[in-house]
Amino acid sequence: MNAPIRCLALLAALVAARAAAADNPDAALLQRGQYLATAGDCVACHTAPGGKPYVGGLIVPTPIGNIISTNITPSASAGIGRYTEAQFRDALRKGIRADGKHLYPAMPYTAYAQITDDDVHALYAYFMHDVAPVDSKPAPTRLPFPFNVRASMAAWNLLFLDGKPFTPDPGKSAAWNRGAYLVRGLAHCGTCHTPRNLLMAEQSSRELAGGAVGTWFAPNITADANSGIGGWSEQDLVDYLKFGHARGKAQAAGPMAEAVDHSLQYLEPADLQAIAAYLRTVPAQHDPADTQAVDRWGAAFDGIAAQRGTAFPDDAEQWNGAQLYDAYCASCHQASGEGSFDGDLPPLFHNTATGRRNTDNLVMVILDGIRWTDATGVRMPAFANELGDRQIAVLANYLTQHYGNPSAQVTAGQVMALRAGGAPSHLVALARWAMVAAVVLILAIFLLWRRRRRRREASVGRA
Amino acid sequence: MAAPASADIVVIGAGIVGALAARRLAQQGASVLILEAGPRLERARIVAAFRNSPLKGNWMAPYPPSPWAPHPIYVPKDNGYLVQAGPYPYPAEYIRAVGGTTWHWAAQAWRLVPNDVRIRSLYGVGVDWPLSYEELDPWYQEAEEILGVAGADNTGSPRQHPFPMAPVAEPWSMRRVRERLAPTYAVVANTVARNSRGYDGRPACVGNNSCQPICPVNAQYLGINAVESAEAAGAKVVPNAVVYRIEHDAKGRIAAVHYYAPDKSEHRVTGKTFILAANGIESPKLLLLSASSTYPNGLANRSGMVGRHLMDHPSTSLTFYADEELWLGRGPQSPSSINTLRDGAFRSRHAPYRLDFTNISQVLNVTNDLIREGVYGAEFEKQLRWRAARQINVKNVLEVLPNPDNRIALSSEKDAMGIPKPEAHYAIDDYTRRGAEVSKADFAKIAELMGGTGLRYSAEGHFANNQHITGTLSMGNDPASSVVDGFGRTHDHENLFVCGTGVMPTAATMNSTLTAVALALRTAEHILPAKQAHAATTHAGHEADRA
Repeated sequence: MNAPIRCLALLAALVAARAAAADNPDAALLQRGQYLATAGDCVACHTAPGGKPYVGGLIVPTPIGNIISTNITPSASAGIGRYTEAQFRDALRKGIRADGKHLYPAMPYTAYAQITDDDVHALYAYFMHDVAPVDSKPAPTRLPFPFNVRASMAAWNLLFLDGKPFTPDPGKSAAWNRGAYLVRGLAHCGTCHTPRNLLMAEQSSRELAGGAVGTWFAPNITADANSGIGGWSEQDLVDYLKFGHARGKAQAAGPMAEAVDHSLQYLEPADLQAIAAYLRTVPAQHDPADTQAVDRWGAAFDGIAAQRGTAFPDDAEQWNGAQLYDAYCASCHQASGEGSFDGDLPPLFHNTATGRRNTDNLVMVILDGIRWTDATGVRMPAFANELGDRQIAVLANYLTQHYGNPSAQVTAGQVMALRAGGAPSHLVALARWAMVAAVVLILAIFLLWRRRRRRREASVGRA
Repeated sequence: MAAPASADIVVIGAGIVGALAARRLAQQGASVLILEAGPRLERARIVAAFRNSPLKGNWMAPYPPSPWAPHPIYVPKDNGYLVQAGPYPYPAEYIRAVGGTTWHWAAQAWRLVPNDVRIRSLYGVGVDWPLSYEELDPWYQEAEEILGVAGADNTGSPRQHPFPMAPVAEPWSMRRVRERLAPTYAVVANTVARNSRGYDGRPACVGNNSCQPICPVNAQYLGINAVESAEAAGAKVVPNAVVYRIEHDAKGRIAAVHYYAPDKSEHRVTGKTFILAANGIESPKLLLLSASSTYPNGLANRSGMVGRHLMDHPSTSLTFYADEELWLGRGPQSPSSINTLRDGAFRSRHAPYRLDFTNISQVLNVTNDLIREGVYGAEFEKQLRWRAARQINVKNVLEVLPNPDNRIALSSEKDAMGIPKPEAHYAIDDYTRRGAEVSKADFAKIAELMGGTGLRYSAEGHFANNQHITGTLSMGNDPASSVVDGFGRTHDHENLFVCGTGVMPTAATMNSTLTAVALALRTAEHILPAKQAHAATTHAGHEADRA
């Protein structure tokens, strides 16, 4: 047997062994696969509200239109039941489906590209064996032109997909490497926290410097002391990832609460510590406007006492910040914004909710409250139905002025826009204009080339 | 937008009971219209009104009555709406507003004990109910799952399925009371519609200790939650619709109800089925107001029993200083009680009772005492701290037997809309007084076990009203002695039902709201059966407590 043939035979044997292992995987492998699926938070996107896990159907609004998540149960007809492990690996790491078509990067394959072969194997075993197949197919994604041309993603991938799995840095500790692997890979922190460029790709030079997630803002979590989490201890970070609450600093809300709720709280302590260790070394991205740490602004202040003995205006639209605070906030956060004695009801000063210059999250948490998993886990009530845009602006400005960063401002227009789901994106129009521009450019180049050639031909002819 | 003038089901009264009956019927596809005499309130305004009121101890202060739908007010002075005919006062407090009186309840959501419905058979007193505890059980469960009830299992009320959630964390004061009274008395968590964890979109209790003026965070289930859920199910609510007459047709069926808007314009609403759920005082008032030539004594009143058998849970109490710091005021206002005296052979001789411990902050009461005593300066500060830390109160919650002489009638006085005011005729009989006398031994024992000093019993012969308006529209199998049948249908009018605490034939020893809700859900099922089996709809609220 010559060498190439021997190699092929070996490969075939290996593939067969893998397939056999996947057919009858051991419990430890399945358990690891489940753990990795939790770490990857697959369920968050691949489950519709109230639907069965992994059956897909969640509508993910993106600047280029709604992307509908797919069924990733092992159903042969509706899910990924016919995927080989190689096809599964390509979907995860290259964003390519079994039929060869491209996924949209709403699927964070640019992060999952870091996943090692071993972990892909465990994930594959878990999805094929431990997830119940469900034969229901969510509606397909229909994006407007030009984004409906999935092949265009090939060009995007060429620019923005680094297809190499994670390689440990031998100069760093095992914990750091584990943290880096999770943060950049499965936990795909950068998907939200890294700012994106015009073409919606993460700016790798500004890793975790803060990005937008719909109406929410995923803040800078680099090691910068003022703009990021440089002032947080490893324990603060672990608490935040485990409980969604770092006392005296911050609470998870919105999409981050979902990430903690579905995924991060279930990670092993060593993995959370590894994530924290890595985050504390992410190159600091400093914004000079952040003159002190986001979680160090403000102090206790009682604005309520001064309201006593004065009738509140009949029209609640005319209530001032202290009056709104008295009626809506003080029952939990207390008269001086100090929260409960044990910090479980958080103080509003020394709190990223009021200390951040970007006030979108402050508005969003007043509108939506904080809920865990389902309707039973209410950590903060929602006030969208009780407070108007102007009232929320008055209240939020009272909060930032006394308990937070006084330069942070909220306007009624901002509340109105966030309540309506955020400012509309111009990306579709932009892309279409870009297409027109590209066509014009190509035409121009073509015409130029033809003219030059004619000239050349003419000159040749003359010669 | 004009209010609808017709619906399949017309409900009078947008309190917790009427709204939950409405919700269930709307869920079955019926068109439902709820007419409410009072205005729509907002929680935040009530919170602000309470916080900004100098009358902190007066829990009606944040609920000023509207001119067109007055309710009784006693502080700073009696507004004279509920006329007292005596001999004993019946100073009921209730709220006429969308959401009703549970805007400011203590969220006590008790079941009866099984023998409560058979006291005539077992003890030769009162009357038997036309249904058994076992028949009520699934309706209690459904009610508990809607309200989100937390409770302890050892209160004497058996159950087939677990409470939707575990009890609210025990305040320090109640823990010490429980520890020091054991084993003589078993002090257990009260059964309450208050969240010990997030439930149905509402947060857990954070211990503001202002349950009875207003729960500021929506941790305690209120009538307004019921109203909003009824609206979500499709029911329509018309506030400020003061119903003043129920109209019957020639066959004795109800054809329509008439209401005044605040400008006294008259409106008529027709329907197929009518539910009267305006509370134990306003509901009988309305039936009496609707007298016609065919029914000269009022509607549903062939028996003459409308308005009669008025009951409450009178209380006597003991206040004292414990020999240790308890610091009442942390956690809910009414967290714990003793439930072992709610039933027994003694019921043939005297009233049974619950013994209930308050956990209301004592700072205000003690301050008033010290001012009255003329204490001031540094001594005031010292005394305030000492007394507020140690003062504690235990009260009994006594059963009152149904007596036709205790009743709500129409007064000759009229309110601003020209509608006759309700008039209470009330007395406290020897059965109840004997129960109070017996309970004094318990008070003394409790004080002894707590190392009590400065014992102050409530004034001899004085009973506090507990605002548990019961009776007045009693259910029973005999049309000659009751107003409605076991399903809440009036004996006299085939399409007129009554929901509320008024239909309870006896008052037992527990706050009456949960029983009224359970009965109302059963009435709703009787009017329009649920499409899916009952068992399939209930238990949906069972969620394992989250770690």
